[in-house]
Amino acid sequence: MAQLNMTGWVAIGVPAALTIRLITVAATALLAGRPRPCRWIASGGSALASALSAMVALQVIAAGRSIEGFLFLHGASGIAFGYTVTPLSAWFLIVLGIVAVPVALYSVPYLAHAVAPSRTALAGAGFNVLLGSVEAVFVANEAVAFLCAWEVMTLSTAALVALEHEQRSSRQAAYLYLVMSHVGAGCLLAAFLILGSHAGSLSFPVMFAVTGLSGSLRDTLFVLFLVGFGVKAGLIPFHIWLPEAHPAAPTNVSTLMSAVLITTGIYGLYRFCAFGLGVPDQAWALGLMGLGMLSALLGVLYALAQTDLKRLLAYSTIENSGIIVLGLGAGMMARAHGHSTLASVAVAASLLHVLNHAVFKGLLFLGAGSVVMANGTRNIEHYGGLLRRMPWTGLFFIAGAMAISGLPLLNGFPSEWLTFQALLMGFTSTAGVVRLNFPLAGAALALTTALSAVCFVRAFGITFLALPRSPQAARAHESPLLMLLPQAWLALLCVGLGLFPGVALGALEGVIASLPGLQSAPMTAGPGGMSSGIGSFDAVIPGLLGVAALTAFLATFLATRRGVVRRVSTWACGGTLTPQTEYTATAFSKPLLMIFTSIYRPRREVDALAGASPYFPQEVRYRAEIEPTFERYVYAPLVRLVLRAASGMRVLQAGSLHTYLAYVLVLAVILLMWLGGTP
Amino acid sequence: MIPDPLFTTAWALLHAGGMLAAAPLLKTVIKKMKARLQNRQGPPLLQGYYDLAKLLQKEPVRSETASWVFVAGPRVYFAAAVAATTLVPVLFASAPLEAAGGILLLVGTLALGRFALATAALDTGSPFGGMGASRDMTIAALAEPALMLGLFASALAAGTMNLGVLVRGLVERGPAWHPSDLLAFAGLFVIVIAETGRIPVDNPATHLELTMIHEAMVLEYSGPDLALVEWASAVKELLYLTLLVNLFMPIGIATSVEAGAVLTSLLAWGGKIFVLAVAVTVAESTNAKLRLFRVPELLSVSLGLAFLALAIRFL
Repeated sequence: MAQLNMTGWVAIGVPAALTIRLITVAATALLAGRPRPCRWIASGGSALASALSAMVALQVIAAGRSIEGFLFLHGASGIAFGYTVTPLSAWFLIVLGIVAVPVALYSVPYLAHAVAPSRTALAGAGFNVLLGSVEAVFVANEAVAFLCAWEVMTLSTAALVALEHEQRSSRQAAYLYLVMSHVGAGCLLAAFLILGSHAGSLSFPVMFAVTGLSGSLRDTLFVLFLVGFGVKAGLIPFHIWLPEAHPAAPTNVSTLMSAVLITTGIYGLYRFCAFGLGVPDQAWALGLMGLGMLSALLGVLYALAQTDLKRLLAYSTIENSGIIVLGLGAGMMARAHGHSTLASVAVAASLLHVLNHAVFKGLLFLGAGSVVMANGTRNIEHYGGLLRRMPWTGLFFIAGAMAISGLPLLNGFPSEWLTFQALLMGFTSTAGVVRLNFPLAGAALALTTALSAVCFVRAFGITFLALPRSPQAARAHESPLLMLLPQAWLALLCVGLGLFPGVALGALEGVIASLPGLQSAPMTAGPGGMSSGIGSFDAVIPGLLGVAALTAFLATFLATRRGVVRRVSTWACGGTLTPQTEYTATAFSKPLLMIFTSIYRPRREVDALAGASPYFPQEVRYRAEIEPTFERYVYAPLVRLVLRAASGMRVLQAGSLHTYLAYVLVLAVILLMWLGGTP
Repeated sequence: MIPDPLFTTAWALLHAGGMLAAAPLLKTVIKKMKARLQNRQGPPLLQGYYDLAKLLQKEPVRSETASWVFVAGPRVYFAAAVAATTLVPVLFASAPLEAAGGILLLVGTLALGRFALATAALDTGSPFGGMGASRDMTIAALAEPALMLGLFASALAAGTMNLGVLVRGLVERGPAWHPSDLLAFAGLFVIVIAETGRIPVDNPATHLELTMIHEAMVLEYSGPDLALVEWASAVKELLYLTLLVNLFMPIGIATSVEAGAVLTSLLAWGGKIFVLAVAVTVAESTNAKLRLFRVPELLSVSLGLAFLALAIRFL
């Protein structure tokens, strides 16, 4: 382990990064009237700050020890905001840096095309405030700083989601996001106050060290933390804000929301639910595994029914969040049964998936942003044939699509492989009926992976292949170089992390060692291999298969090469081939909608507008929608209940000053009587 | 990691080459047996090779709307099938590239091939390609949990997911079957029928596009592209049957490189594959093709069998 030089740049790295961000925000605000330098300053400052904090984080992971310091220190009043970069925080900071730097580069041309010049300063400043608050969340070491950073993160995201506030959907999405986030933040506040009052301090190390909490109190804290962080992580049933907010925000913000904001929720689940309340109960672990499975399955099923490209990606984020939480739940189950090595395998799988998801989801969102910018619409049914017009975007998008489908040679496969290992070894290590949970989770994970492959064949195929389905798609042109380079970098990372999973896993060993109750397992077999860590259950070297597959591919390609290939038009059953004969995205997922009809409950309306005769309709209107189960059956009744309670309480606001004075008098008397006796 | 790169490469090439050579024969044997059951003569046994040779010599005709994805699709599908064969033990109780991975990597590699083929099917702009891709990916998605659980049942019983180690363990243990093996075998047999596109899931000999699942995906290919797709499908079928054979009945498999052992293993493998081919033929000939939306019910039966296999063995 390398020696950590605390007196060097590492000691001031985190405060320096935050200072750079503050300066960038100020400069962006000052340059509000000049969009071009404003964009460059905002993106450049953001990239610099993200890179700096990621480098500090790398040092922390390499050394395996936390670093501490102060962000703000006022000697006279004693106000101090400290920070601690634990190896776990460092891992999340690295994930942040890996995504934030390309997104910053992407923002420069993107903001020019997608955001009005008058809003550029707000977009740039908001971007930096968002990233700065996320970094502060990861490094906060006491509750007040944590909650302040959490709130700033929520508000800046809401501001960015509502950037195009002329559109009603943006306003509604931002409002929904604010309400859900504050419900979560309320739960977090309650949990911190309860835990803090028992521990006597709001500092995290003290709070985590408290013992002697009763079972029901621990359960309450667990549920409060779960709700609070589950909202941010996008776990079902707290997910309803995610599919609205992600599409409404500009793409650089959507990318960050999917890749980074979700991870703040995951980080909270790790720090508080899994490793902050002592040894977890089996019921908690089962709860997390169940929520993870539900999120994964429902996320991908809803993604399959979407025709809005960014909404599809948002639901896919819910799916991957579910997979991460499933791994975490399996780890907690192992810890509950005392298997610390197995727990480390499950936690490693989960953290690895955090990194891999950020990389491929970032890539997919950037590609989607380019496509939306070129076409002017988010509706997949209006795309088509974009591979000819946007070849590089298409190439990078297919790399992301293959990665998210968990195919070998790309980075989705190693983390899902490791999650399977954790689940299977969990099955053999536990006893009793509860062990059947693991093969059930394994089957759910297999179904999720396969369904996400269907989803992304659909997304890529309908968007980029065949003929353009609208005039805009026929006129689309490739994105500028600064938007392609970040995608190329992320695609290269997808391939690199897929062929050399041992590198990321090796970095995780330091993180695993720092978490309480986990024992490191030898999960790497060189930079190119992974093993299941316990016994010799399984091992994989994707690169070896890659060599075999590449050899076979090249041999086949060269052997079947022909000089001249005859190109003819596709047979359209005797008619002319038009875009109308192509398969649509709705049709592609229709079999699955029919098979899972009990989950989707689809409804459709078909109107045929008759022309001269009802047998020759002039126009056919088709409208299909799936049942918004959670919005209609969970949240709508809740909202109605809250509104009813609020209007019931309106009788208290009589409007008369005398009544209010009477309230104060009565309350004062009651309080005196109640508290008067206590010393 | 790998003991001797040169030896492993040579063995992998021989292994893959052997599977490639044997695959068309399996397909033709099944066709001929089906024909005989229908009171027809059926094609000559070498017809599979004649067809491949004919297709490889023809000129490829491709659609104007197709891009590089259409050209890459069959080649990636073929390469994935060939690479997958190197992970599975056939004649010996070890596979050439077994160090590369086990069950999960095998399923993932076949999924990679299917992804490429399904994506390429959408490239021509023909509605049949989209329909075939949609149906094939849907059925594959529903078959995947059952496939995984069935394979996990035998893997967990042996304590390893590496196919070579698994088969060696089974050979050492000797013929001792557990009732869960029968259930897992039944479940996996149904999955093999689904994955190789045979009746009752899909009819490989149909000419009606609206009844096609796999064939609709490859409707637009001709010449060498079609040869690659058909060859790869045949290899996949042989691979699945070999997997079934060696996971449940690895009797007679060679544990050393002696001529006698190898010959015995070859005959035993050939005989067992023939028996499974007869089972596939009987299943195809005595069942009617299921309606598309009845297939999930069949696959859930398979999932239930696999789950029961796990429950019986471990509870």
